[in-house]
Amino acid sequence: MATVKLTNVKKVYGKNVVAVQNFNLEIADKEFIVFVGPSGCGKSTTLRMIAGLEDITDGTVEINGKVVNDLQPKDRNIAMVFQNYALYPHLTVFENMAFALRLLRVPQEMTNESTGKTTYVYSKLSQDEIYKRVTEAAEILGISDLLLRRPRELSGGQRQRVAIGRAMVRDSQVFLMDEPLSNLDAKLRNQMRAEIILLRKKIDTTFIYVTHDQTEAMTLGDRIVIMKDGFIQQVGTPTEVFDMPANLFVAEFIGAPKMNTVPATLVRNGDGYSVEVFGVTLPVEGDKGDQLLQKGVESQSITLGVRPEHMTLTNRNNPYAIPCTLQVNEMMGSELHLHVLAADGTPLIVRVPTVQLTAQQVSSLVAGVRIYVTFQSKVMHFFGSESQLNLLAEQSKEANAASEPQQEQTDEAAKGTASQQWYHN
Amino acid sequence: MTEQETSQQILDFDVDFNAAAANVEIDPPDPNFTQTEQTEFRKRFVDVPRPVSRLVGQRVTNRIANTVIYIVLSIMCIVWLLPFFGIVFESFRCESTGLEGYIFPKKWGFDNYVRLFTDPTSNFLRWFGNTLAMGLITSVVQTAFQLAVSYALSRNRFKGRKFLMNMMLVFGMFPGFLTLILLYTLLSDWNLTMTNAPWGLILIYIASSGMGYYIAKGFFDTISHSLDEAARVDGATQMQIFFKIILPLSKPIVIYTILMGFMAPWGDFVMATFMANNTNNGYNVAAGLQWLLTDSMINDYYTTFCAGGVLVAIPITILFMLLQKYYVAGVTGGAVKG
Amino acid sequence: MKKKKAPDFVTVELRDGSEVNNEEVMLFKMNGVSYLACAPQSQPDEEGREIVLCRRQKRSVNVDELPVGKFPDGGMFWQQLPCGEEQDAVFAEFCRRYEQEAQEKRRKELKAAEYLKLNRWQRFVYKLKAFFCAIPRWFVALFKKIGRFFKNLGLKIADNAVDLWRTFRYGSWSTRVSFLVMGFGNFAHGQWLRGLLFLLMQGAFITYMVLSGAHWLSLFGTLGKVATVEVYDEVLDITIVQHVDNSFKILLYGILTIFFIFAFAYTWRLNVKQCRICDEITRSGKKVKSAKDDLKSIVDDQFHKTLLSLPVFGIVMFTILPIIFMILVAFTNYDYLHDGYNNLFTWVGLENFNSILTFGSGLSVAFGEILAWTLIWAFFATFSNYFLGMFVAMMINKKGIKIKKFWRTILVMTIAIPQFISLLYVSNLFADNGVVNAYLIRWHIIDSPIHFWTDGTLAKIMVLAVNIWVGIPYLMLITTGILMNIPDDLYESSKIDGANGFQQFAKITLPYMLFVTGPYLLNSFISNINNFNVIYLLSEGGPARPDWGQVGGYIAGDTTILITWLFGITTGAEANYKMASVIGILIFVVVSVLSLIVFTIMPSNRREDDFS
Repeated sequence: MATVKLTNVKKVYGKNVVAVQNFNLEIADKEFIVFVGPSGCGKSTTLRMIAGLEDITDGTVEINGKVVNDLQPKDRNIAMVFQNYALYPHLTVFENMAFALRLLRVPQEMTNESTGKTTYVYSKLSQDEIYKRVTEAAEILGISDLLLRRPRELSGGQRQRVAIGRAMVRDSQVFLMDEPLSNLDAKLRNQMRAEIILLRKKIDTTFIYVTHDQTEAMTLGDRIVIMKDGFIQQVGTPTEVFDMPANLFVAEFIGAPKMNTVPATLVRNGDGYSVEVFGVTLPVEGDKGDQLLQKGVESQSITLGVRPEHMTLTNRNNPYAIPCTLQVNEMMGSELHLHVLAADGTPLIVRVPTVQLTAQQVSSLVAGVRIYVTFQSKVMHFFGSESQLNLLAEQSKEANAASEPQQEQTDEAAKGTASQQWYHN
Repeated sequence: MTEQETSQQILDFDVDFNAAAANVEIDPPDPNFTQTEQTEFRKRFVDVPRPVSRLVGQRVTNRIANTVIYIVLSIMCIVWLLPFFGIVFESFRCESTGLEGYIFPKKWGFDNYVRLFTDPTSNFLRWFGNTLAMGLITSVVQTAFQLAVSYALSRNRFKGRKFLMNMMLVFGMFPGFLTLILLYTLLSDWNLTMTNAPWGLILIYIASSGMGYYIAKGFFDTISHSLDEAARVDGATQMQIFFKIILPLSKPIVIYTILMGFMAPWGDFVMATFMANNTNNGYNVAAGLQWLLTDSMINDYYTTFCAGGVLVAIPITILFMLLQKYYVAGVTGGAVKG
Repeated sequence: MKKKKAPDFVTVELRDGSEVNNEEVMLFKMNGVSYLACAPQSQPDEEGREIVLCRRQKRSVNVDELPVGKFPDGGMFWQQLPCGEEQDAVFAEFCRRYEQEAQEKRRKELKAAEYLKLNRWQRFVYKLKAFFCAIPRWFVALFKKIGRFFKNLGLKIADNAVDLWRTFRYGSWSTRVSFLVMGFGNFAHGQWLRGLLFLLMQGAFITYMVLSGAHWLSLFGTLGKVATVEVYDEVLDITIVQHVDNSFKILLYGILTIFFIFAFAYTWRLNVKQCRICDEITRSGKKVKSAKDDLKSIVDDQFHKTLLSLPVFGIVMFTILPIIFMILVAFTNYDYLHDGYNNLFTWVGLENFNSILTFGSGLSVAFGEILAWTLIWAFFATFSNYFLGMFVAMMINKKGIKIKKFWRTILVMTIAIPQFISLLYVSNLFADNGVVNAYLIRWHIIDSPIHFWTDGTLAKIMVLAVNIWVGIPYLMLITTGILMNIPDDLYESSKIDGANGFQQFAKITLPYMLFVTGPYLLNSFISNINNFNVIYLLSEGGPARPDWGQVGGYIAGDTTILITWLFGITTGAEANYKMASVIGILIFVVVSVLSLIVFTIMPSNRREDDFS
């Protein structure tokens, strides 16, 4: 139903605290896009700018090709679900959902026949119409029985549904959700996450979803926008961001437990590559080696990233074995999270499926034992130790902007604001 | 599949779980890792024999403490209620009208109440009417003003907001009586003193009511801002947000403000006495009843004062007790917010 | 026209309510990248402590996730934004200051280690010493603040002037005309409603100034020259005394006129600014707001102005202007002899203040004693009520006490009864020929009546005692709610640690209460300074002390506090308005100094935007 386009969006609080900048993103019709990042990265601010709850300092926001910077929230044809639901405590569920519909005025063109002038007459929705829309939405969400209750009589999950229902009845072009699941307990959160995926099939519209939880982002989004300190770090499908993180931050942010990152040296011998880490030289073969060769990467010190689930246990006879001391063994049932220390004291996490070990081995994994880990070249991620960028990734514009701010542009912008300041003060 | 297998075999691992397990080597623990020792502290200070206090003894002390508390509270109730019983008893005294050295009347009767309404000097009905009118009008307008100011200051961040608040804070530090003389002169120019004093007082109360915005503002501050935002997204104007969302949520504070506005004129005797300037018709109950106790009047009207006091106290107390819940909410909120 | 800018400092509020001030956090730029840097003492010392940048906008930053680098000694800084200029000098300055603060911190840590080893009394002495050592620093901070205020004021004025000049220089012709004819620019841009309002305002102002404003202003310097003239009436063949000037009115309308002039200047500035904004908007090709938009905004984005207009007008007219009037009266000789009508009053400078503050003069003795008693009274009235009220609340709250509601209701009932009734009755109860004395004599406990209200010391004790009687129910109500809010697990944990009832009160209840009700205590101290009702209704300020002399026909007494003194002077037989004003101002000074001190000492606890 609607496309959303953000061009060079910038948000400055007060005089010089910048929350968001260089934000460029095109959201396709009916796409489910997720903004994810640590708290304070500007994701909520961006969402609120799209909603019209915050002024946009610079740049434009377009909905369906129309610039909406100066429009009030109500004129943008959006619906929003708030983190704490923001249900009106004094109204029943029905009235909560009908609130927006009751305020809605539908313009009707009226032509005066004698003069030929066109005027607009605004009319309210009829009670029948409101009843129909609210009950339909309630039906979909399974809250038909609750329509006469007040928010405080509802459980967390039910409130969540009402909040979604309130946004649904408006049948908006864009559906904004600001951390809608963060107030629920873990079990309910998983359940609601699945329901949102189902819901999305029923109400096909453009979704913009903000969360700080990478699991939600991975499971829900068609595309994920990872943000940090007001900059976009990477935009991509869940597979893309997982397999080819643009930089160290994205690599560590996506995936749990977080990726192990260790300083290492990348060595090039003619057309072959190897990595020196913890005194072990691991050959880089297969796809990764080809890619490195394609990019013409030279020998350099790097930060090597390996996800815990990609590490395997081995024995001392393995030429690529890295000896480690086990510190903590977290038994998760289906798998073990082994927190180990490498010889030089670098902490690593290794995720081992329980089925790969014998019962005796599992029980002998206690603090202090010495074990050997290794990993394949296909799971390695190479990051520049200075730039922190993925050596293999296509350098997207956003990632560039994030790490190396374009001097000229910002200079100009600064000048522009300075010269306008006296006039806009 | 085959490709994977081969690459895995190179790197020492096997899809065959038994083989994988066989590959894993776990060396025995490092001896440095085992450590637990009996601490010196526990030996010296914790694990020493000590006398144990018995729960039974505690129970007895508790009972004694409770008894003492009951006694103290009972005495307090008597001390706190004594004056009010005193007033009630003395209002029924028929044998004399002045100050007497006892509380219980020798002759009981409604003489004082009858006198309150019939004696031309006391003019109680007029005073009562004045006060009631003041209370009703003030409570309505003052509530509107206070809520308006508190809402605007709580919800909006506009230019000059801090200035406005500081202004009210600084000018609030001047004693209110300072301006008595000026206000009197002004109001008497507009013929709002003497007989018309109640109207002048209403004007003064209302005009300065915005200064008392603190408590309601504190309450509004606690209402989540996302409600406003949700309403804005739903298409409400600021006015609709105020009337349809915030006000219905603020019932306790609205009632508290109304209650305060209504009760203020019943207790205000300084302004009322001053504005009425010895004009009997312009008094409110406080000014009037206090006037009955001036040196020249007290001997004739002391018991009448008691009767008047009882008649004033009864409706106010009933009203207050009915709305006590809201009063408590208001003062507690105000105290915590400061 | 670029101003040289000092390093950008920002204020950061931490989530836990404490504020990191300008000096400790700064935004600096280096190699085109801005950094928000945090000095050592403002670093998060606990996990997950969040800071809120720029508290208006609720932008929160979790410090744990931000740092991108470390200073040599471990202080963190984090990248915030890229920006234009290189400011290596700023960075150097920051590093210098950083090092300094790091040393300071090390010294403090050493001190903290020493402090932790002290016992209770040593700690008390240590704190006391620290408190007095800090006093000079407050003054320095205060003067710095004042200096900054004036600097900012100057800068603001200069900015405005520059802005005006530029608007005139670059603005459209309609904007330039608006400098003379207000609202013209608005008309030119089709904003007829705003234009009309501006024009009307200008017209009204000019008319007022010509008709009367100029007259009042011209007499403002002298407050009138001639009080009365004798005019010979030919018809009646008598001389009639005619009143000419009225100092009272000159002063009042003079203030009003000055006020109007300021308001007009502001409106004029607003008018120019709006024209400029209209110019800007048209230039950028957008539409200016129409009159219809303006009307809509009254209930929408300008709704707060709609709400504020009437109440603020009332406050300005009936509170602020009268107070300014009375402040000015303190500098005149306005009293019953110079009533401004038959005898004009005029400016006398600081004479009135001299007479009350000069050491040793008759009035200053009275003032000193009354001020002392006012403070003593306020102190005891506040704290006796506070502690006793809390005590009663705790008694009722205690587990195992039954019919809690009954006890509370009885006490609360006494709040409802108008104070003037209960206080007047109690006053008569303890009169020389009152009930209490009569019973005591009848029971042969005393022979002659106790002079509850006519003995100075006894009267003081009595007003304090009766004030406790008045105040306990009120405090009981307030503290009950807060006491119940103290989390139970605090008590349970302390019980496991071995604290007894009293220790629980001293270590948990009291600190919690003091923290939560700190601002309330200050408020109630101030309202006790101005507690007219209790004093006036009980003792009327008596017993009188003729040795202090009279002011305005009113003789102050032992229990007189400043506010009742002020009232007595204003309403006395020889009303002395100038002295009343002086006392009013002095009350203000006392109250504001107290508030300032308390706010400086008090840890900055909750702020209004803490929530949400």
